[in-house]
Amino acid sequence: MPFGIILKRAFRDIRQNLVTHLMTTLVVVLTCLIFVFFNLFSINLQRIADHFGKELAIIVYLKKDVSQEKVPVLYQKIVSIKGIKEVKFVSSEDAFKRLERYFSNEREILAGVDPTFLPPAFEIQIDKALYNPNRVKEIAKEISKWNEVDKVQYGKEWVDRLENFSKMVRTALIFCAALLLVTAAFVVSNTIKLTVYARQDEIEIMRLVGATNGFIMGPYLVASLLQGLLGSGAAVALAFLAYSYLIRAFGNSSFWESLHLQFLPAENIISIVVVSGLFCMLGTAMALRRFLKL
Amino acid sequence: MIGTEQPIIELKKVSKRYARDILALDEVDLKISKGEFVFLTGPSGAGKSTLLKLLYLAERPTAGSINIEGLDLSGLSRSQIPQLRRKVGVIFQDFKLLYNRSVFENVALSLEVLGFKREQLTKRVKQVIEGVGLGDKLYRKVIQLSGGEQQRVAIARAVVNRPPIILADEPTGNLDRKRTREVVALMDELNARGATIVFATHDETLFRNTHRRVILLEKGKIKED
Repeated sequence: MPFGIILKRAFRDIRQNLVTHLMTTLVVVLTCLIFVFFNLFSINLQRIADHFGKELAIIVYLKKDVSQEKVPVLYQKIVSIKGIKEVKFVSSEDAFKRLERYFSNEREILAGVDPTFLPPAFEIQIDKALYNPNRVKEIAKEISKWNEVDKVQYGKEWVDRLENFSKMVRTALIFCAALLLVTAAFVVSNTIKLTVYARQDEIEIMRLVGATNGFIMGPYLVASLLQGLLGSGAAVALAFLAYSYLIRAFGNSSFWESLHLQFLPAENIISIVVVSGLFCMLGTAMALRRFLKL
Repeated sequence: MIGTEQPIIELKKVSKRYARDILALDEVDLKISKGEFVFLTGPSGAGKSTLLKLLYLAERPTAGSINIEGLDLSGLSRSQIPQLRRKVGVIFQDFKLLYNRSVFENVALSLEVLGFKREQLTKRVKQVIEGVGLGDKLYRKVIQLSGGEQQRVAIARAVVNRPPIILADEPTGNLDRKRTREVVALMDELNARGATIVFATHDETLFRNTHRRVILLEKGKIKED
């Protein structure tokens, strides 16, 4: 049967059973909305975790007896490590000056102290584009093996916690997504089943007058595809409106800005809409199987 | 129209068992020629409806073979069943209509499944609806019609695609005398145009004093032919 006729019959069918179709679409909207909000939350949580992680720096304290000539050599060695954005050398004197600035109101504390008592150090900034907590650990470990190095600090606890948190978020996301998907599958397929059950007389009559399964299923599948696409599309649009409202209302506060929030990326939106449409079609096909005895 | 010798419907030793102790049809042998008008009669539970159901494959026989227009039904796959049903127009006792749809939509369904073009479909459907006397109720919803009118919609739907065989399962069971006569007259007309008709009824007055072939079923067997 030509696709044009299937489309025509599908739209006629939607017109004649508008309330039923709207109810099913509403169920799809609500189910997708929960999923979209969850996705939005988890994506931004991950972003916040990553963002704070990127702010971390590695400080390499050198042994006091390291000669001045070694400094450029060490600098070059550090710069050549992949994932490093910026390296700054802080001599013992510079470190002392910083300390003086810190205690500018209580200068007497540092009176008589040897200006070279602090160890020279390298301050390393990690390239944000290449950031990941494991890489920070690896770089610190590698540098700490060098003979000239006394100690390496990189906020180990912070990085470890961040890493654990990221893992937890990812696991929770996968678990909840699976749970939501199963729940959504159950709710949507049952709604579709009820719609199909309500029209089983019509399906039986069509079969008795010689309709093929394709003729019967076509409009149902088109209608359910539309329900899935429109329902998920509406859910994404509603979520975007809610997100835009929040940004407008609180976006100017410095805390909010520091979170660097973003809406769902395009590939997530496309995946949600396409999967939702296909899923509704699949649910309808499964519900129809019983009546068509496939 | 008097039937020719070539059988359009042929049953060989056909049995249908629903449960171990319910034998609806018992080794039925039957030949119906092209263009014949056959009354299938017998008391309730004799097997009339079962026999018709086997002919449009709403049921499959437990044993035996059925041949319709040279088509062996036992070898027919599920996907081929629609092809058979397009050759067989069925009028059901309970009408089986879409009550929230119009007369036109109900009748058009038989042509839509065949992929008729809209103009051709509209012309044919209107013609047949006028033929059963419902020309003024074309777009009326079926639920708003009387029992007799609904039966005529069911007849129109069964014949609109001009099937060579028409099976009528107690088509006058719910009708008064006047409407019953109208339905029988309609069937006569369809038969005169060449359709083979199998008319199941327990109402003897319909075939008494006619020259039509009458098959009497009792307890799943043909008692008289």
